[in-house]
Amino acid sequence: MIFGLRRSVVAATLLATLGAVVLAVLTWKGSQVTSESFLVTTYIGLFLGALWAMYATGLVVVYTTTGVFNFAQGAIGVFSAFLYWELHVNRGWHSILALFVVVCLFAPALGVTLDAVIMRRLRTASLVVQLMVTVAIMVLLLSVVGDIWEADTPRRVPYLFGINNGIDLGPSQLPWHRLIVFAVAIAIAVSMRFLLRRTRIGTAMRAVVDNRELAALNGARPNVVSSTSWALGSMMGALGGILIAPELGLDPATLNNVVIIAFAAAAFGALRNLPMAVIGAMLIGLLRAHTGAWLDFGPDFRFAHLAVAPLILLFVVVALPQARLEVGRLAHHLRRHERYTKWWEGLFGCGVVILLAVVFSGGWLDFGIWDPGAWGSRELNSANEAMALALIGLSLVPLIGWAGQINFAPLAFAGFGAFVYLKLAGDTGNGYWILLVGLLCAPLGALVALPAARLRGLYLALMTMAFAQAMSLIFFPHPWVMPIIGTGRQFPHIELFGVTFDDRRGFFLLMVCVFAIFVYGLVLLRRSRYGRRWMAINDSQAASATLGVPVVWTKVVVYAVSASMAGIAGVFWATVSGNVDSVQGFDLLIGFNIVLLVAAAGVSIPMAGIFLIFIPLFKGFGLRLEDAGNVDFLVTLLDIMTTYGPGLMVLGMVFNPRGAIFEMGRGFSPILPWRSDARAEIAAENAQKREPEIGELGLERPFNPEEVIAIDRRLGILDDVVPKEGYGTARS
Amino acid sequence: MKHFRWLICLLAVFALVAAACGGNDDDDSGAAAPDVAPTEAPDDEMDDDMDDEMDESMDDEMDDDMDDEMDESMDDEMDDEMDESMDDDMDDDEPEPVATEEPEVDPCEAVDLEATDIGITSDTITVLVMADVGSPLAPGLFQGSIDGVKAWADHVNSEGGLACRQVEVIEHDSAINPTETTNGFLVACEEAFALVGTTALFALDTTDLQSCPDAAGNDIGVPDFAYITTEPPHQCSVVTFATSRPNSECPYAGTGPRAVQSQVGHVQWLLENVESNLNGVYLVPSDLPSTIASTMPQLRSFQELGIVIDGEPGVSGFTTQSEYGAYIQVMRDADSNFAYTGSDDQSMIKWRSEAEAQGLDVDSIIWMCQLACYTPSFLEAGDVIENTYIWLWFLPFDEVDHNQELADFMVAIDNPFPPAWAAGSWADGVLFEQVVNGIVAEGGPNAVTRQAVLDGARSLTSFDVNGWWSPADYSTTENIMPCFMLMQVQNNDFVRVHPTAPGELDCDADNVVGLTKDWGAEFGG
Repeated sequence: MIFGLRRSVVAATLLATLGAVVLAVLTWKGSQVTSESFLVTTYIGLFLGALWAMYATGLVVVYTTTGVFNFAQGAIGVFSAFLYWELHVNRGWHSILALFVVVCLFAPALGVTLDAVIMRRLRTASLVVQLMVTVAIMVLLLSVVGDIWEADTPRRVPYLFGINNGIDLGPSQLPWHRLIVFAVAIAIAVSMRFLLRRTRIGTAMRAVVDNRELAALNGARPNVVSSTSWALGSMMGALGGILIAPELGLDPATLNNVVIIAFAAAAFGALRNLPMAVIGAMLIGLLRAHTGAWLDFGPDFRFAHLAVAPLILLFVVVALPQARLEVGRLAHHLRRHERYTKWWEGLFGCGVVILLAVVFSGGWLDFGIWDPGAWGSRELNSANEAMALALIGLSLVPLIGWAGQINFAPLAFAGFGAFVYLKLAGDTGNGYWILLVGLLCAPLGALVALPAARLRGLYLALMTMAFAQAMSLIFFPHPWVMPIIGTGRQFPHIELFGVTFDDRRGFFLLMVCVFAIFVYGLVLLRRSRYGRRWMAINDSQAASATLGVPVVWTKVVVYAVSASMAGIAGVFWATVSGNVDSVQGFDLLIGFNIVLLVAAAGVSIPMAGIFLIFIPLFKGFGLRLEDAGNVDFLVTLLDIMTTYGPGLMVLGMVFNPRGAIFEMGRGFSPILPWRSDARAEIAAENAQKREPEIGELGLERPFNPEEVIAIDRRLGILDDVVPKEGYGTARS
Repeated sequence: MKHFRWLICLLAVFALVAAACGGNDDDDSGAAAPDVAPTEAPDDEMDDDMDDEMDESMDDEMDDDMDDEMDESMDDEMDDEMDESMDDDMDDDEPEPVATEEPEVDPCEAVDLEATDIGITSDTITVLVMADVGSPLAPGLFQGSIDGVKAWADHVNSEGGLACRQVEVIEHDSAINPTETTNGFLVACEEAFALVGTTALFALDTTDLQSCPDAAGNDIGVPDFAYITTEPPHQCSVVTFATSRPNSECPYAGTGPRAVQSQVGHVQWLLENVESNLNGVYLVPSDLPSTIASTMPQLRSFQELGIVIDGEPGVSGFTTQSEYGAYIQVMRDADSNFAYTGSDDQSMIKWRSEAEAQGLDVDSIIWMCQLACYTPSFLEAGDVIENTYIWLWFLPFDEVDHNQELADFMVAIDNPFPPAWAAGSWADGVLFEQVVNGIVAEGGPNAVTRQAVLDGARSLTSFDVNGWWSPADYSTTENIMPCFMLMQVQNNDFVRVHPTAPGELDCDADNVVGLTKDWGAEFGG
């Protein structure tokens, strides 16, 4: 401790300050700093901070009171802003009435609905499922917005309180709107702090997230409390969206991306501390405003000033203290009976995959219009892209599926792999360099994981998100990393074993083979000691540590393995494209989609990865459908599935947390005569499902012995003692 | 050179007077064309000119031409390039053979139509329109391009078709995605005769476009009549002809110096007529390397004209209105009187709104924007965008009485204020139509092949969408369209300010500035 602060905080602060000073000296624009320009820039920064603080407050309230980090907070703001525009601008409602309807009626209703229909079912789900489902809600809400309000029409939301009048600051002025927004943001944060700390409902909110069952036994009504939390969170998201829309314009993607800044602000407050979250938002706002005003990063780093938020997020994660291992909490999602895939099963499965690919793409069998063997260049091109993305997705199996560590940056690792390959192989297309790419990407994965591996899973998720964002804003747009070319291919066709894979069908088969090798490698890895360690830290880090498993090191290794796989996959992905778009190609949302699809498919067993190969087949079928004609309804259905499919698939995790493919496999397994383990697992789960919730047992009549046993089972304290009649009082 | 120009002008005036006094009105139109709408009319257009309706239009234009103001304008506009055009037009003025009594032979009935290449049958010519439409986060982005091509095809078909065949349009959504863009090229290669109205932002790899085999198996590529070409591989594709000109040197390695032409006529006019000393801020759209590379030449060209640039910050879609406050501060410190955005209408609205919010004297500043601000949504911003100048390289949509092509477009598109994408893809359609008509005129309807279309387009030295747009030379990628017209937002409407007469474009030779620099490195951020 130095001056009462942790050493890590002091070191990180000093490092960040030093870095900021060096950066400022190197990139100083040369503009004259006057008191007026400084004042104006400062108030702009504070205003921006106030806007982000509103989003951040909503995030913190929901996380503090439900334990769920809501990635859909920005999308709720986007939807609300569009609805406000519809009512106020398009339908001519008075602004106050429209604001009231959206913020006080629609937003709470949306929050309560989300809680009742989806979130309530997630309280015992793993962090991966919780995050994925909120990401799915984000994608679905944005898709709905895109469908209802066509994005090709630019829209403006008027300022709520006017912009042309305000306090005179000499030559410039501080508009009332911004002053009021600033005051509202502070007022909301203060009132939320008061609500959570000083009121009965606030105490109940925090109690429910700490121990839902215990809070219920003390008279709290968990469902009402969580609905209230979601309603409040949605209201703040809606208000934030409506207030920030005049600043940015009504563009769904732009508005939604603002939430990443709010994530950084929330992380500044350790996700639970409201005042610190607001301070974090203000700090980011000030940094962004002053950076834009005084610093010049040049053409090569033209997006650097937008990277303030992700860099602060990275800084916060580095500065946070090591998390304590979670003990004493019930891990409800661990009721499973793992079975390792036998080596010959894996070999057989991979062989089948390759055979199917050869048969299908080789055109050995005639499937009429559905025959992939008859695919033209277009279908094969799409299939190759999907196959490359499936390869990237496979890199998440050991990380998310086994170790339970979240990674929102698979595309960043893949892009890094493509970059390394570009530098190593140049324009030769020499495929042997791919192995070295895998080796060089591993340290990057370890480097990213190292600061976050000592923290809880959510910070890992935020850390990887910040890393992906920083890479897409700073690293990839640099012309040295992905040089723009005037003609031809940036990434030449891969040459391997004396064969140049310039034919799309041949390249597809090459990727299928790589896919099969990856899958089989994962099957063997899962059976190894490392694989079991990864599973163990996913089940219980405390227990793993007690048994001597080096938790941090194990996390770092699994990140390295995943980054290595993603890097290799990135080479194939870039080669499919030929030329990579250095700005949009690595967008965070694309990475989100990959993670979503993989999680929805069921990423915990490597054999499930095989089913990712159906993505290209599905895509190919879709293209054939378009050609077939007279199937308009099917094409429409396909359009709907393309738009909403990924989100809906992930929402399915609410009911099948381990993924659709996994559940399909588990449904099929009991039919096999030698799979008595699968039959036993399903029987046990069915028995578990029949047990009532503690909150549903009531408190106004004596518990009967069965109910007491049920309570004990829920609390994990079941023993052989049969309680006597009248042990408790239950509601009749 | 100036003396020579005067001589040519004098000759032109003599020709006009002689034509007006002597021959029939139709013959005069050819000579009048450069003054009114700087173009050379194709042969088939001359036939159209025989129509009564067009006669009336031409008479009107002739009257306009005789105005003193027009004479002055014409004096300015005469340059070497236009002289050549004028010479061509004068050639067109040769008395046409007197029509004989023989009945006209329909060329379509004289031959058995054949399937001459991929995408062309005895009955149909299939074209593919590819545009970024279906991105989940920006649905419908360039839907206007698809609408424009479909409207053009309907119009052509209603007038008897193209090369004696009906035009069929298939659509492909490139979805702001490089792979889907490549897929579009592949579909066109296999199923369409040509691409028309291509509006895809990420045509990063044009290998499949340029190497597509024709029906004979020769890897000649698919003709691609595009509206916009943002990426160097697309700009320099040897089979691509973009109506929104790349105005950049090809071939290009992707980095390093590149010769680029820029249109500066609009600011030239401001310097001469509004304020001779301009200093101000130029906003550079910095989201993509291609937007930077396409904007910086104009910025540096402004400086060549003597405009002092006080700041050239990059803006993106993520820039909030309040962040424009930093640019306002630069303007205040430098006492700027000029503000130009190379970005879109929303950028200008944010900028001007923030300027008002910051208490800047907005009336003392010349605000200027380009085609991107010519939208209904720009006007919806209300008083805040009053007096903003906007320049176009084509006649605005409300001047339907002054150009038949524009009138046809507005009827076909059935939208009182269509998106510019629709106008661009319609222009692509007209370009394709003109090339095909040229082939038919020379070799008949069975001479239409991809190779013939590519040859025809490559030899096209002037195309102006039948007088609607500024003319452009399609035999090179480097030339920019030399003509412009300037509007200003007045009382919430787009009002023409230069040239003042409707139907005119300013085509002065000084409108174009050419520079060679490494444009990617020019941007300061």
